[in-house]
Amino acid sequence: MTVLAELAGARALAAGSGADDLVARVDRATAQLRTADIAVAVVGEFKQGKSTLVNALLRTDVCPVGADIVTAAPMTLRFGRPPAAFADGAPIELAEIGQHLQGPVEVRLDRRLLGAGLAIVDTPGVGGLDSAQGNVTLALLPTAGAALLVTDAAQELTAPEVDFLRRTVERCPRTFVVLTKTDLYVEWRRIAEINAGHLKRAGLDLPIVPVSSFLRARAQARDDTALNEESGYPRLVDLLRRDVLEAAMQDRIAAAKAELSFVVERLRERVDAEGAAIRGVPQVVQRYEEKARRSAGLAHGTWQTLLGDGIQDLAADVDHDLRERLRLIIRNGEDVLAGSDPRDTWPDFQAWAAREAAAAAADNLMLLVARTEQLAAEVAERFGLECDRLELDLPAPELALGKAAELDVSFQQTRMQQFLGAFTAARVSYGGFYLLGAVGALFSVAWAAPLGLIAGLTLGRRLMKMEKERQVQQRRQLALSELRKYIDDVGFHLGRDCREAVRRTQRLLRDEFTSRARAIERSATATEAAVRGASQLSTQDKQSRMAALADQRRKLDGLAASGVGGAAR
Amino acid sequence: MSASTLLGQVRALLDGAIAETGQGRLVAARRRVDEPLRVAIAGRVKAGKSTLLNALVGEELAPTDAGECTKVVTWYVDGPGYGVTAYGSDGSREERPFTRRNGALEVSLGRKAEKVERLEVRVPSSRLRRHTLIDTPGIASLSADVSLRTMAFLDAEGERAAQTDAVLYLLRHMHGSDVRFLESFHADGISEGTPVNAVGVLSRADEIGGCRLDAMVAAGRIAERYAADERLRRLCPVIVPVAGLLGAAGATLREDEFRILAQVAALPMDDVVELLLTADRFAASGEDRRRLLGRLGLFGVRVSVRLIKDGAVADAPGLAAALTAESGIGRLREVLTAQFAGRAEVLKARSALAVLDECVAPGSRAAVEAERIRAGAHELVELRLLRLVRSGRVPGKDAQLAEMDRLIGGRGVEAYARLGLTVEASGEEIAERAREALARWQRIAEHPLSARDLRTAARAVTRTCEGLLAGQNQQGWASR
Repeated sequence: MTVLAELAGARALAAGSGADDLVARVDRATAQLRTADIAVAVVGEFKQGKSTLVNALLRTDVCPVGADIVTAAPMTLRFGRPPAAFADGAPIELAEIGQHLQGPVEVRLDRRLLGAGLAIVDTPGVGGLDSAQGNVTLALLPTAGAALLVTDAAQELTAPEVDFLRRTVERCPRTFVVLTKTDLYVEWRRIAEINAGHLKRAGLDLPIVPVSSFLRARAQARDDTALNEESGYPRLVDLLRRDVLEAAMQDRIAAAKAELSFVVERLRERVDAEGAAIRGVPQVVQRYEEKARRSAGLAHGTWQTLLGDGIQDLAADVDHDLRERLRLIIRNGEDVLAGSDPRDTWPDFQAWAAREAAAAAADNLMLLVARTEQLAAEVAERFGLECDRLELDLPAPELALGKAAELDVSFQQTRMQQFLGAFTAARVSYGGFYLLGAVGALFSVAWAAPLGLIAGLTLGRRLMKMEKERQVQQRRQLALSELRKYIDDVGFHLGRDCREAVRRTQRLLRDEFTSRARAIERSATATEAAVRGASQLSTQDKQSRMAALADQRRKLDGLAASGVGGAAR
Repeated sequence: MSASTLLGQVRALLDGAIAETGQGRLVAARRRVDEPLRVAIAGRVKAGKSTLLNALVGEELAPTDAGECTKVVTWYVDGPGYGVTAYGSDGSREERPFTRRNGALEVSLGRKAEKVERLEVRVPSSRLRRHTLIDTPGIASLSADVSLRTMAFLDAEGERAAQTDAVLYLLRHMHGSDVRFLESFHADGISEGTPVNAVGVLSRADEIGGCRLDAMVAAGRIAERYAADERLRRLCPVIVPVAGLLGAAGATLREDEFRILAQVAALPMDDVVELLLTADRFAASGEDRRRLLGRLGLFGVRVSVRLIKDGAVADAPGLAAALTAESGIGRLREVLTAQFAGRAEVLKARSALAVLDECVAPGSRAAVEAERIRAGAHELVELRLLRLVRSGRVPGKDAQLAEMDRLIGGRGVEAYARLGLTVEASGEEIAERAREALARWQRIAEHPLSARDLRTAARAVTRTCEGLLAGQNQQGWASR
């Protein structure tokens, strides 16, 4: 039985027992399973063949490539029929993509790989990995399902590349190294070997996939399978399908199954309770009365306090972290300026400041994501405990089928996933994150022309030294105050985004658990009503009801068994 | 050598200082004045420094490899025969044995590379007579703050004592907004470039744009764009695209290598295309072909086969000449001659004075004398002005600054080059141009509305023009 069929089965059962909120839950889980592409980010240094790789991979030519062309903004390719392109959300002609490269572009293409649920993101190589742009790319990686680091066979991996890889893997565990341009360098096997050595020394266990985009394009033009094989792309496609697409689908299926088991658990409780009531198990009515009463308190349980306190701590820590990072930038800026004349180094100093700010933002964001995940897990755990407490000291009624206890153990193990489903902290934190795009760089400063330097042309140099030194000091002061203004600006924007992200997280977690609490409460109330109704049925009705319940129970067990299996995987 | 020339004055000054103090550094500086100009080849790892060196010398000397290769600073100097001397970091020096594999020198160091300060390789070569070439281990990538400081350091004083007189910087194809864009300009104590003694080389130009036949055109465009970058212009005003592999192969192409290429070219077009599709295929088709590919690169092989197939070249010397022309190494040599060779005396004098500055006490007789030479020698004034112009320190219109740059020797110190004429220009033409320039710059120097700095600079330029005229008159008198 596929998950979708199971979800449909659970929906029918929930609808049959009139549990509308459970029906809504199943519908949402179904929708989540079906939608949302898995993003594959293509990252790497300038001129390593990232866009060419995307073109070759998807057998298209929409990504503009060339010795002189550089991708300046991310370009997303996802499935769509007929093909279309959008720049900043506005539709554009496919042929005109080259003129819209300054902003983000989205292209929809009719390709099997995309249709299977992948979205390829070609990231800008502008400024290199170790730049503001590189850090922005890095900051977005936690939302990606996989990353491909592109490096060409002209030379071994460089220190910045290895460093970037390490930070990539922290954010996106499914990362692969793609060695491009193998057609141009006869020594590419040795380069691949050397690279493997670099990765090993860095403690990274990543596969290296050598490819030739040129051969792939040629193979397509000639419809030549052997040539395609030689290009190395089939292996890459295979990796994407198996290790990215299927793995991500497994995660999603696990989330859907967790939701399924939550729903099944509610439904089964009702069936069991009703069955027990019909069979005349003693105290069953009182038990469910008590449980319903307790469930009403769940929405305002201690998990709310935990969430509230946790959010406050989290907000304070993240804010403090950001301040600390920004302070450090200013201190380092002072050092850098102390060793240079800003008049000469201004453009590079600007790039430096932008990079440091972006790195601070990316790392701060990473902290936010990690802490959010941790908090969510804690809240889920507390919520789970409180759910257990609902019937902890209640007399355990002798229920119809003994299997339930055994299954409950598995439910415990997957509690967090059961409650959080497809929750990803990254996606919550990033909703509309500002990410520096508009903070821009330091302002350009019009440096006053240095006075009297030329006058010393025919004099000895020593006479000029003092004056020169004084002017440099002045410029350093000016540069430093500019840096402070810039960092203030960055701090303001980032701080605001951070607070919003924290609020979003709080709201999401609160809504999520409140709605679960309500579902449990409603289910308990419904169970109580069913129990009351069942105990008052006539003997004949009892019998037919019993048969119906046994049937439902059988169906639910079938769903639960596979649901638990999926969730535990 | 007359005592009135700049170098003559510097020699006399150094001799005097040595007699007074007897410092070893001064003795070395004195010796250096009479040696060829020292040119370092700097850049990051795998930029193609050794390949370029081979191309410049015209002989396979420095070993090259796909992985990182050069580990020790190696000086290639002209000598009566082949020989290698290792200078230890402990001050020792000893002759080291070496073997040659496919021409490349393999030196047995006899100790760890870290313990060797530098190697001196002596090679009988007329090209090395003009300038000593110094191959450096590439710098690994720097963190951005370091390169920021490095750049400031390079530009700060510009007259500090350095072991080399001029630097060739090898640049990678990189984006201008990369924080590491300028990392090639890393001062490492061996070499130090300033806008007057540095030349940029866009290296591995044949690999830009996927080794297609138009690679050098694309590289030319990129080099032009680099040259327009304000930061680069301040550091090195000229940037030349060079395919070092092609240059080296062009200088050393053998008859049997030509035959291999000719065989390939003789195949039907479709087969050639299939064979040259990837480096792998070509290499797999024979061991000699694999070796050839290592020497020429895929671009080199493609270009050669195309040239032979088109009938543009018919023999090894023809192909060698064509490859050399394609490599851009000729252009680099021209630039080197204009930028360094013509100015060798001034650069050497500057290096010597810098050493002197660090060795004698300020205010001593030698220091005063050095200061006097600096202020008095117009060549040094020109050099300093050139530095200021190129660092954007002189106010003035772009056209004015461009002319100033040229007049004070920015494109070569010969009179015709300074006046924007060709080498065939007659004496009259030169005199005529010089007179015009003199009048123009006198006006600027005296114009009340000119900025003060510009007026000072213009006065220096008028002196240059006077010198050009005087030189022309002398020649005129001599020929009469």
